[in-house]
Formats: sequence, structure tokens, C-alpha cells
Amino acid sequence: MSFSVAGEEDFFLEEKRFKQYCEEFIKHSQKIGDGWEWRTSKDFADGYLSKTHFQITQRSVPPDLKEKNNDNIEQMLFMHVEESLDDSQVDGVCATAEVIRYEYHVLYSSSYQVPVLYFRACFLDGRPLTLDEIWKSVHACYQPRLLEGPWDTITQQEHPLLGQPFFVLHPCRTNEFMSSVLISSRKENRHTNYITSWLSIVGPVVGLNLSLSYAKLASEQNTDADLI
Amino acid sequence: MTDDKDVLRDVWFGRIPTCFTLYQDEITEREAEPYYLLLPRISYLTLVTDKVKKHFQKVMRQEEVSEIWFEYEGTPLKWHYPIGLLFDLHASNTALPWSITVHFKNFPEKDLLHCHSKDVIEAHFMACIKEADALKHKSQVINEMQKKDHKQLWMGLQNDKFEQFWAINRKLMEYPPEDSGFRYIPFRIYQATTERPFIQKLFRPIAAGGQLHTLGDLLKDVCPTAITPEDGEKKTQVMIHGIEPMLETPIQWLSEHMSYPDNFLHISIIPRPTD
Repeated sequence: MSFSVAGEEDFFLEEKRFKQYCEEFIKHSQKIGDGWEWRTSKDFADGYLSKTHFQITQRSVPPDLKEKNNDNIEQMLFMHVEESLDDSQVDGVCATAEVIRYEYHVLYSSSYQVPVLYFRACFLDGRPLTLDEIWKSVHACYQPRLLEGPWDTITQQEHPLLGQPFFVLHPCRTNEFMSSVLISSRKENRHTNYITSWLSIVGPVVGLNLSLSYAKLASEQNTDADLI
Repeated sequence: MTDDKDVLRDVWFGRIPTCFTLYQDEITEREAEPYYLLLPRISYLTLVTDKVKKHFQKVMRQEEVSEIWFEYEGTPLKWHYPIGLLFDLHASNTALPWSITVHFKNFPEKDLLHCHSKDVIEAHFMACIKEADALKHKSQVINEMQKKDHKQLWMGLQNDKFEQFWAINRKLMEYPPEDSGFRYIPFRIYQATTERPFIQKLFRPIAAGGQLHTLGDLLKDVCPTAITPEDGEKKTQVMIHGIEPMLETPIQWLSEHMSYPDNFLHISIIPRPTD
């Protein structure tokens, strides 16, 4: 099948397979105009997925939170903006809202043999978001896990190909949660795109959502099998 | 004959004499004298420069002081790289003391990671150790350790306690008796001239036939262009902890004895001085 299985619980992703899944993923992204592209390092030795999009934030504290929160935790509420929004359209948006430019990269980690999500965010004037602002922007349902061990989840790190500061979602637990996804798809003899499954799990934590049509990508592969 | 253990001590206690000068555009109430310090090669700038910060803050107004950052000849120094690596990569063939410029304003957001507290350094250090063990032992050794053991590695580094550190680190340097070495070698190769900050790949210390791979084998495999002389003349130096190990040295031995406390071999490829 598609993974090198060193042990029953090991579902490591080989680099070659990573590139194949990315290729498949890009093809679908191009079909639906989702904005993902494949980039290579200057020496062409390595490649990664890349996507940029804009989000509007409203700085406000919901009334029920005001009473509960002594710590004055600001919840930044995000509204999704069309991916095709370019700078000229953005300027026409409500002046009291702030627009944040997010850049997401999916790289391969040879140390952990899993994909890793790197991202950075800045306001339109170029000011980058701080780690604190990033932590606060994480969706409310993931906040408890984040507060438990912030240093285990999102930290600032050097991008291994560009050498610039990015935020990273830690990869050391990836194998754990991907195992259950892959075990069940194996049982049902379903083709799964590792990248699609993985990104649909980790992406929402940092404001990155995948269109449901990516699931169609997998089922298209499966209809042939059904006919046998 | 030098004992292998002596190498561990020599690596740990390596120092670089450094002169810190305040950036001329920083606003001071009186003149800032340079500050001299012996920097541990194996540590990190933001971990060992509290005295430097205090010294310069004494002549500055509180409102002029923001996050400290360091620069050498116009290049912002990445605090998350070990000090010895920064020196080897940027200044090894220049006269001592190493002259570093101190800044308190205009933090270069595009170049440097923020370091608002010691917790950030600890998190970075531990993340490197974990990654190294993922390569060496599929994370089995680091995961079997208790939190207090992890803490001891960090405290050993922070307080410059060789014995305290190695009491735990020796476990990360072991391997099953049936193997001849680690699964993969944790290493990073740096060249100041490339956009890519470093090269890191999977590399086994033992060949299929059982022979030990050497430093030369590693370089040939992951960056051949950097070391093969085009015209017969060696244009580069391969440096670890300020020395050029022989290319015939087994990489397994180098990994066990010349890794930094983060368990990585940080190797610099620099231009050979022409004199």
C-alpha cells in the first residue's frame, strides 16, 4: 500500500509519497480555484505547498465572556473572506475591521516523517502578529488544549527553507492522530490522500479550512474500486 | 592517548572571548562602555547575556529599551543557533575578541525569532533534543524519560553543569547492543552564502555492509558541491566547534562526542582563508 509500516502503529509518510499526495492535492485545488501552489527551494532539492489568504478580524469581547473573564482575554473573531480577495478589494472593507494576511506552507519533516504546517500572519501595514496574538486567535474550541501546554503546540520557528520566522504547529503528535485515520481507511479499502486528511484536521486550529470537495477527490479514486 | 570523555569536556567548556558594543544610534544618557565576556560555545546568546543587557540598560532610559538583539557586521545573529555555530559560521577566521553589536530597537522581525523569556529558549532547546532523538531512536529514549530528566538537561545547560547534564544525556547517546550506532545521525550543515539556512537529511551511520560511515561520506552525500575542489584546491573548511575534524572520522563517533547539548552536530562550511 502507500505507507512504510515499521510497526503496527507506525504510519510514517515517506518523502516520495508526500510529494505524490501534494501533487494530487494541487490538481484538485487548481480545479476549484482554491489557491494552493507548489513551490521549490532555490536549489530545487525540496518543495512545499503554499497558500495565502486574507481574513477579517473584529476586536470584540462577546457579552457573556465579559462577565466570566477576569483575565481580559480578547477573543479575536474571524470571519472568512473569499480567497480571491486582492488588495484593492480589501481596502473597501469596513474600516473598523482589521485585515490579516495569512500565509500557509506545508513542508515535509524527514526527522518525524510527517508533513508540518508552517504559517505566518501580518496586518496589511506589514506588522506581523505576535505569538500571543496567534495563540489568542486559535479557535475557542482548541483553547483549552493550547492553554495546557502552549509550548507543545504552536511556537515560532525558523522556516527550514527560507530561514525566516514562521509559526509552526508541532509535528511530534501527528503520527498518533493520523494512525486512526489511516487504519480505518485501510480497513474499508478506501483511498486516502494523507495530505487532505491531515490538513483537514490541523488546518482549522489555525484558521485554515478545506473545502468539502477535497473529500470528493478521495471518493473519485474509490468508485473504480467499487465497480470491481 | 586522550580519553573520549576528555573530548566531551573540551566541547562543553569551549569559550569565545567577545566584546559587546552598543549600537551607535541607540539613545543613551551617558557614554556606553563596551562589555567583555567569555561566551560558552555550547549555549545560546539570550541565555548568557543578562549581564550584557544590564550593563547597557544602565546608561539608557527605560522607554528606549525594547527587546535586545545582536548583530555581527550587519548580520542579525540568530539566538536560537548555538553561540559556537554562529562564531564558526560568521567570524572564525577573524581576530579575537569577537565584536558583537548590541541593539535595543528596530527588532528585525523578518530575520530573528523573538525571545521574550527563558521559557522560549528552553522550549527551543527541548524541541531540538526531541527531534534528535526521533532520528536516533524513533523518540523511544526521550519519551521514556520523566519530566524531571528533561528538566535536568535544561538546568545542566542553563547552569553550566557538565555532570548534571551528562548524567541524563548519556542515555541519549546509547544504542541497542545489536546495532552499531544510531538509526540516523542528527546533523545540520550551514553555509553563510545560501538562502537555505541549513541542510538536513536522513543519513545512516552504518553502511549496508556494516562499515562505519565517515564525515567525508556524509558531506559527499548531502552537499558534494561544497567540498569537492573544482581545480584541485580545497576552497572550503569543514568546521565543528572551531576545529576541522579529519574527513575519515566515523560520523557515529562525531555524533556521540561532538554534538552540541541539543544532540545535533552543527557543521559549518566556510571559505578557507587565503593567506
